[in-house]
Amino acid sequence: MLHEFTVRGRDLFAGEPDAEVRRQRNTRRSIALVQGDLLTNERAETAGLSARVWRGGVAGFASIADTSEESVRRVLDEAKKNAAFLDGQVALGKPALPKAPSGAFRMTREPGDPEQKAYVDFARAVDEYVVANCPKLVSRRLMFRADCMEKVLTVSGGTDAHTYLPRCYLYLIFSTETSEGVPVELVSVVGGYGSFDVLFRDPKDLFPEVDLLYGKLLAKAEGVRPAPGLKTCILGGELTGMLAHEAVGHTVEADLVLGGSVAGPMLGKVVASPLVSLTDYAHSAFGKSAPLPVYVDDEGTPAVDAEIIRDGILVGYMNNRDTACRFGMKPQGNARAYDFSDEPLIRMRNTAILPGKSRLSDMIASVEDGYYLTDTRNGQADTTGEFMFGISMGYEIKNGKLGRALLDTTISGVAFEMLKTVDMVSDTVTWNSSGFCGKKQPMPVGLGGPELRCTLMMGGR
Amino acid sequence: MTDLKTLAAECLAKLKEAGADAAQARLSLSETREFNVDGGEFSLFRTIFNRSMTLTAFRENKTGSVTLNSFEPADIERAVSDCMAGVESDKPDPARGIAENQGERELTYGAPEPDAEKFFARTRELKEEIEKRYPTIIMEQMINSHDKTESVYADTNGNLFHLLYGSYGVMLMFSAHRGDKSSSFMGCGYATVDLDTPLIEQGDVARVLADTEKQIDTVPVTGSFVGTVVLAPDCLSDLLGCAIDSFATGAALIDGTSVWRDKLGKEVASPDFTLSLAPHDPAVVLPQQFTGDGYLTEDFDLIKDGVLESFVAGVYVSNKVGCPRSKNTATGWLVMPAGEKTLDELIAGIDDGLLVYRFSGGHPAGNGDFSGVAKNSFRIKDGKIADAVSETMISGNLAEMLFHFVGASSERVKNGYSVLPFAAFSGITVSGK
Repeated sequence: MLHEFTVRGRDLFAGEPDAEVRRQRNTRRSIALVQGDLLTNERAETAGLSARVWRGGVAGFASIADTSEESVRRVLDEAKKNAAFLDGQVALGKPALPKAPSGAFRMTREPGDPEQKAYVDFARAVDEYVVANCPKLVSRRLMFRADCMEKVLTVSGGTDAHTYLPRCYLYLIFSTETSEGVPVELVSVVGGYGSFDVLFRDPKDLFPEVDLLYGKLLAKAEGVRPAPGLKTCILGGELTGMLAHEAVGHTVEADLVLGGSVAGPMLGKVVASPLVSLTDYAHSAFGKSAPLPVYVDDEGTPAVDAEIIRDGILVGYMNNRDTACRFGMKPQGNARAYDFSDEPLIRMRNTAILPGKSRLSDMIASVEDGYYLTDTRNGQADTTGEFMFGISMGYEIKNGKLGRALLDTTISGVAFEMLKTVDMVSDTVTWNSSGFCGKKQPMPVGLGGPELRCTLMMGGR
Repeated sequence: MTDLKTLAAECLAKLKEAGADAAQARLSLSETREFNVDGGEFSLFRTIFNRSMTLTAFRENKTGSVTLNSFEPADIERAVSDCMAGVESDKPDPARGIAENQGERELTYGAPEPDAEKFFARTRELKEEIEKRYPTIIMEQMINSHDKTESVYADTNGNLFHLLYGSYGVMLMFSAHRGDKSSSFMGCGYATVDLDTPLIEQGDVARVLADTEKQIDTVPVTGSFVGTVVLAPDCLSDLLGCAIDSFATGAALIDGTSVWRDKLGKEVASPDFTLSLAPHDPAVVLPQQFTGDGYLTEDFDLIKDGVLESFVAGVYVSNKVGCPRSKNTATGWLVMPAGEKTLDELIAGIDDGLLVYRFSGGHPAGNGDFSGVAKNSFRIKDGKIADAVSETMISGNLAEMLFHFVGASSERVKNGYSVLPFAAFSGITVSGK
């Protein structure tokens, strides 16, 4: 557990009106069992201090791999020096930023950090079950990944915080071959917010997930390639979440709006079907804790939900204090840093399309000739909103009934055009929080959504 | 001042004391100075003082590894204990091992000491030159940094490598705009030690910016066709990297999913295709000096005249699969020979196809099947570059694609890590609306 700062406020910042100091520790546990061989068996930890100082609209930032109280003054002085250098060179002359509400937020319970052996033994027990019960597998990989960010933040104006963000996941990666000998692969991820000792109590709990994944893989091995072209599709919740994050979320990060994203001229305009609403949730959603709750961001802004699309209309961006000031909006706690040596950037937290009123069974029954796409292996989009998602699992829909499984394919489109084709939204949200968002720094994020009936471009091959 | 060599020796001794048969210690001290431009304005000057220690221990063919960024005695004691706990969690595997003794090396290279003021002046000049020469470009982000590292690798077989190195990095992300219309987002960058040459004249920055300006107005491809695709160097690097990862390296060889698993010494590409992993090429700014196992590196041909000459295999993979150990594991340091034709001449020989600057398709499937969006790309029609395209997908198979190599341009782009030409491949499916 990191020590909190013993010196705070005016004494720490010594007249610096706009500054923050962050003490941070990141831990990571990695296990990779490939065909039963332990290829990766690592523990990693980084810890250090950083400071950021604003001067005339530019920032100076400094960090050091040391968490001692004596080093606080050193990083603050270095950050001041950097701010003064850049301000002196570019002289933007901007006024100081408005301050966030003052206060303090503390999480007092430190997440567990079990021995490496606990992860390895658990993975081996699941692996033994896989070997005994999945005879048609050509290869199997089981990987544990656990990480935790602990942050102690002190700000010259705003909310001080001491927070933890622990996650732990087991990845099951199975492959088999089609009758023509072509390898096919499928991945399942189990886990979520919290530490290994809380989330993974008994390997037997994972056996149903193994059986489910194996069954889906065998169906996929007998699958067909979808016909390319524009098709009526039901997008599974995992894919809806990826769409919300990759193809919409990034375009409404205010720094990317300033960088020329498609959302710039769209504020207040129709960007989706009236059935579509999208929010970046801070720490709770739909009456429950959000997958990766954020309570205070790394600028000291208390985190609240950021509403992005309401009934098909673009109503907001995600901001830090600087961009909120530029756009005349309120910062809502989206400024997040990954490592102690990273400056806060505008990042998503738990981004989701909101559920509708349709039942999935009715949605499937409504499609005469189309596809139900359930799993994704990757996704990319750019600031125009044009996206490409790899589909690793899906099914034909013929005359309102699910048909054969699909082999790997891709879908593509332009988010603000494709979202206008949505005409049914299911009543259930599926969340995923295992990945990292990449934007200069990695960042754990949650993404989710309901099933959407829409028109999509299916890829070839 | 921390003496890394002494500290490394102390760590190895502690691991031996704790029961390790063999051990490795990797220690480093690093400093970064970074200037950021966001949304076209200077926004941040960042400095990072960091350090890193990775300890790996072996006992009775079992292994464990720990990484931390503290050199404090109490933290090192805990790291040694955690490392040995990791060893105990493993099962014996005789494939494990580290390099035999190759002696000691002291190497200084690149530009370890920064000239921060000159670098800032060059960075500002780059920003201003882009604004002047390419007025439709909006710079979403420019991240220019200098990184300095002192590192030590030591192991219980007597290897001791002490390195001091540094370089300047330039990374740009941008798009072109006119009214409400815009190109797709594009990025480029390079590593350099040269502050005497303006930054805009290095790497492939000028060409990529100029071509991005031509991508504001796009025309979608109608229907689909099988044609020839010319991959720009960065795009070529991405796809070749995926092929190496899926077909020639670690896990894919061990679990047998690599389609090249029985192709060593056999044809895997057109006879005209040669690809080297060359971290010591003169154009490389920061070479890989030694592998993770502690072997000093040499350049080697991965594919020569279409024949697979080697896998990318360290000690473990080599022992596990029964293939020779490769001379390096530097999969990011790709070098391809220049072709005889210029890019224009290469394009002149193509009836119908695409010039692709960026492929948005994620990692291809394990068998090499790929399908994704051709971003920042142009149609090639009757031997000439035609319209920029939108919503156009390309698909194929990486293993098959290498057999359909048409040729490489005589121009090659040096980005400090790779030296790659534009390369043309036939038989790629191009599909639009």
